[in-house]
Amino acid sequence: MTFRARELSAQARIISLAATAPSALSVTITSGAVQTIVNVTDNAVNNFPSPVVIQTSWSVNAGQTNSINLVAYFTLPTQALVGGLTLIPSSRILGRMTTGIPVTFTPITQNGLGGLGTAGGSLQLFAVNISGGNKTASRTDNLDLQLNLVGFPTLIAASYVGVLNLRAVTQ
Amino acid sequence: MSAPFRKTLWGAALLLLGANPVVAQVGLTSGVATVALTATKSATLTVSPNASTATLASITDNSTANDFTPVSLTTAWNLTTGSSVRLIGWFATPAQALVNGTDLIPSSKVEGRVGATPYVAFSSGALGGVGVAGGSLQLFSEAVGVGSYFGSRTDQLDLRLNLTGTTTRAGDYTGTLNLQAIVQ
Repeated sequence: MTFRARELSAQARIISLAATAPSALSVTITSGAVQTIVNVTDNAVNNFPSPVVIQTSWSVNAGQTNSINLVAYFTLPTQALVGGLTLIPSSRILGRMTTGIPVTFTPITQNGLGGLGTAGGSLQLFAVNISGGNKTASRTDNLDLQLNLVGFPTLIAASYVGVLNLRAVTQ
Repeated sequence: MSAPFRKTLWGAALLLLGANPVVAQVGLTSGVATVALTATKSATLTVSPNASTATLASITDNSTANDFTPVSLTTAWNLTTGSSVRLIGWFATPAQALVNGTDLIPSSKVEGRVGATPYVAFSSGALGGVGVAGGSLQLFSEAVGVGSYFGSRTDQLDLRLNLTGTTTRAGDYTGTLNLQAIVQ
């Protein structure tokens, strides 16, 4: 007796597989995160003592990202530094990044960029165009800061403190 | 390739396209890194005379009519603490406030005042570490506090020799009066 198995096949089913490496963007201050001017001089330009060394790293899709931008900003531009009732606005804080966009000292008075920063209290520090060759990369830059008190009323003796924010955004 | 199989491939391709939409990565943001900024304005206290010399052209013995040319003093302060600003005048060696060779006029015969106050001799003790015992005089004391930690004042300092009961030898008598402010 011959038995013959009946040929039987199911319809093909397809399972699509997709694995996405998430984009990454980070800003790290490697040194200079605390800046102190020990003795401010009135009616003069006061240099903060050392540069803020900033490392910006990214891994993005070259086809979907045009540029990486680094922005510095104060949350309240009218109160960049505060000492008691005395306010020093962001227009008195100047930033310079010789490897970036403000190669000379520039007041932190620009508007935000790409949803980052605050109107009148921001400064774009650099913009890097993204192509296939640099879709995953990092760079290190020095940010120099000044406090410009030329023409500013004599400061009352006190410590004036504030926080400068640094953040990167893709465009 | 059979028609059903081609159909299946097209379906899979469409499915893959649907699973991987092409979206521009605009607006991807990093976390916030912060820089803490501190700028400290130190407390200051200064005394500025408008002249470095006060002169008395001719001494009159046995008299208080020996007025030096007045000196204007501006005292400025920018403080964070304290309750008073005081100005002290003092001679380093009270026994020799003014000297003419071996002839000496002590600080007890040199008198000073600020404003319309009575003349007082430079014969008090030091104050707050400023001055010399027996050769000092507090010229003013101004109360300060929150709201007046930043200020200044200008005073005329009058100086004279009180030579009542004293006769001097002819000659030029010179000396140095030190002025120093202090916060207490």
